Amino acid sequence: MENNFYITGVGGQGVVRLGQILALYGLEKGKKVRFYKQVGMAQRGGPVHCEVRIGEVFGSRIPPLSADIVVVMELAEGLKALEFVKPGGMVILNRKKIYPLDLMAYPDQYPPEEEIIQLFKEVGAKIFWIEADRITQEINLPLAENIIILGVIANFLSLDKSILLNLLEKNVLGSFLTKNLEAFERGFQWAEEMK
Amino acid sequence: MKRLLTGNEAIAEGVIESGVEVITGYPGTPSSEVILNLKSMQNKADFRPQHIEWSINEKVALEIAAGAAWAGKRALVTMKMSGLNVAADSLVSIAYSGCRGGLVIFVADDPGAHAGMAEQDSRHYARLMIIPMLDLASQQEGLDYMKLAFELSEKIGGPIFLRSTTDISHVASDVEIGNRLNLEKREIFLEKDITRYTKAASSWCIAQHKDAINRLKQALDYTDNYLSEHGIRVNEMSLDEKIKEGVIYSGAVEGNFKEAIKRYNLKLSWLKIGLIHPLPEERIKRFLEKVERVLILEELDPFIETEVRRIASQMNKSVDIWGKFNKDFLPWVGGYSFREIKKGLETFLGKVFESEQDSRIRLKAKEIEVKRTTSFCVGCPHRGAYFALNKAIKKLKYKKDEIIITGDIGCTILGMNKPFESCWTEIAMGASIGLAQGFKWAGIEKPVIATIGDSTFFHAGIPPLINAIYQKVPLTVIILDNGWTAMTGFEENPGTLAFDNKEDTKRVDIREICQGCGVEDLKVIDPYKPEEAINTIIKAIKYPGVSVVLSRQECALQAKRRKVNFAKYRVDIKKCTGCRVCLNSVGCPAMVFHPAEEKGRPYMEITMDCFGCGICKFDCPTGAIEEIKDGK
Ligand code: SF4
Ligand code: SF4
Repeated sequence: MENNFYITGVGGQGVVRLGQILALYGLEKGKKVRFYKQVGMAQRGGPVHCEVRIGEVFGSRIPPLSADIVVVMELAEGLKALEFVKPGGMVILNRKKIYPLDLMAYPDQYPPEEEIIQLFKEVGAKIFWIEADRITQEINLPLAENIIILGVIANFLSLDKSILLNLLEKNVLGSFLTKNLEAFERGFQWAEEMK
Repeated sequence: MKRLLTGNEAIAEGVIESGVEVITGYPGTPSSEVILNLKSMQNKADFRPQHIEWSINEKVALEIAAGAAWAGKRALVTMKMSGLNVAADSLVSIAYSGCRGGLVIFVADDPGAHAGMAEQDSRHYARLMIIPMLDLASQQEGLDYMKLAFELSEKIGGPIFLRSTTDISHVASDVEIGNRLNLEKREIFLEKDITRYTKAASSWCIAQHKDAINRLKQALDYTDNYLSEHGIRVNEMSLDEKIKEGVIYSGAVEGNFKEAIKRYNLKLSWLKIGLIHPLPEERIKRFLEKVERVLILEELDPFIETEVRRIASQMNKSVDIWGKFNKDFLPWVGGYSFREIKKGLETFLGKVFESEQDSRIRLKAKEIEVKRTTSFCVGCPHRGAYFALNKAIKKLKYKKDEIIITGDIGCTILGMNKPFESCWTEIAMGASIGLAQGFKWAGIEKPVIATIGDSTFFHAGIPPLINAIYQKVPLTVIILDNGWTAMTGFEENPGTLAFDNKEDTKRVDIREICQGCGVEDLKVIDPYKPEEAINTIIKAIKYPGVSVVLSRQECALQAKRRKVNFAKYRVDIKKCTGCRVCLNSVGCPAMVFHPAEEKGRPYMEITMDCFGCGICKFDCPTGAIEEIKDGK
């Protein structure tokens, strides 16, 4: 058994935190784990991606065509994940566009949504759209998109919920914990409805 | 017990378990987290070394560690590959003299140049300096080899290199924690032996040289069959008499190599080399005896391959060797991803294991992807300094492409990116000031300007400044003093105390250094006050000798962490015409532009991320950017 997660987005979206919780989950399960993060510079809006590998794995990076789950927190950043999608693998697309400074005035230069979807279809991905920021607005916790997606993954992969909740408790700031647990549940339910 | 640790965290754990007493280093990606972690665990985790410091540069750091090791203590020094060039002068001599207590030099290379800088292969230093080198192939080895390195150093009486690469240092994996050595506090050892610790007579130098070479052999004897506490062999061989194909590998390629073996169920003999200097020559011979064809996998230069070819040439059996010397085969540059390893193995074995994705998809994705260039953080004081510098150049009626601005290492080099596009060069620590003098002597009559950060100035900027003053070279040096060694992880440096009160260090003021060096035209500016900053820089550029402008304001991220607050700014939407002058002249990530499609007319928004530096206000033609006073 081997699980490869490729998570991509931009700074400030909690990409690395999501990966870290999945990696710690693998460790708790007594599995071999590899956790790679590409952060670049500590600044808002820079590209961020991380890879989590759990199971009989050796290399620190996911080989091409091998990501079982791809999480795209920011749409255009998803393009970088294409070569890693396993045919038939699951791709969770968050409907969110974050423009870099020099594109803000020219939104038409942002790659069209249809082209991005077309490419994901061509690599044989099973696509799930989510609007995580809609849910975060409902529960009034704007920065919890990553935790919602954690709930989605937990459901899709039937992960051990109690371990995950435990990890959330240990790794999420105390005052936001309740809301984050709510975010997790909302993601979990959302996935239930998608099934 | 297993923990999820990055290579650098595992190395730090190995340092604690080895009972190291003096730890020094200079920050540099991908090496910095070893000391950052040790500092954060100091006095917690029952870890009480005698001393940990970020030194002024790698050479000084090394000398401190060597002094401690000569007095019988265990000492560690850490640096990135470029830092090893700085420490090299002292290290050669120290290696010849050897050491008493364990002395380990941790150096991290960056194949793929993720953090910028020349992609040098530091393994060559091992050979040049006659120092044994252990090369990491996994995070677990980070812990195990650090402990081995100290054992080995004391066994042979000489320093040991521990080399890592980004793919090991920055990736986390499940790492088994080891036992802490129960080391009594070590006695201080006094040894006055000028034949060993000075180089004043040629006979002593020759004897030291011989000693160093002898230590190599001892190192090989000690490690060749070494088995670590977690079952890792330094040099390991898997030989199957029936298989004619073999692979010799070393370092970070291990992960992808083993991945390929598992994935494609490959039958290969292999030899893993953990001690890459000196190489286990006898073992390599035994391996070559048993195979007909051999592939050598290592990142960057053909360091091992060259030696394997030499060893093979001395055997009376011909082996078909594949590696970087084969034309159009394995690359000499960049890190080896799974794809490179797979391609290498496929070519070597003459079959395709798995077909690749249609390359059209990758090309298409590349073509439409969004480029996100790095710029200064929200509120970064360097933004103000480059903003003022560009304005000053314009006011002096120079064109942008006729004024050379030499940049330097660290966050300050981001002045080369949009929207400023100021810096022309980036070479090595402190090189901005030396290069600027060369441009002047070449006969450039227009002003030449050097920009350099505080830590970089302390590290290597002072000698070239003194040189410029002594030689009377007219140039302007702008020192961007934000009080921290920010780019590598916000380490402190001798100037940090200006912002951060600590009692066990004494602040060294860059202003006083410049005065002491004989700078006559020295001005301090606040980069958050553009008007004054521009005028001061204009005067400095006009000054006929060496002028220094010291731009002072704390790193915004550190200031924020320390809860320093400035009044934030906002855009009065009624006044804003959406011209984007502010965005184009300061490019602050706290700004969000809303095009006309959204609300019928375009406008700028300053988000709550604003730090309140106030620079964007300066250029707004309609005065739409205003300070939020008393929260209103
Ligand atoms: S004042 Fe302007 S430039 Fe400064 S941090 Fe705020 S938005 Fe950015
Ligand atoms: S410069 Fe002033 S008017 Fe122009 S977009 Fe910025 S805030 Fe609006």
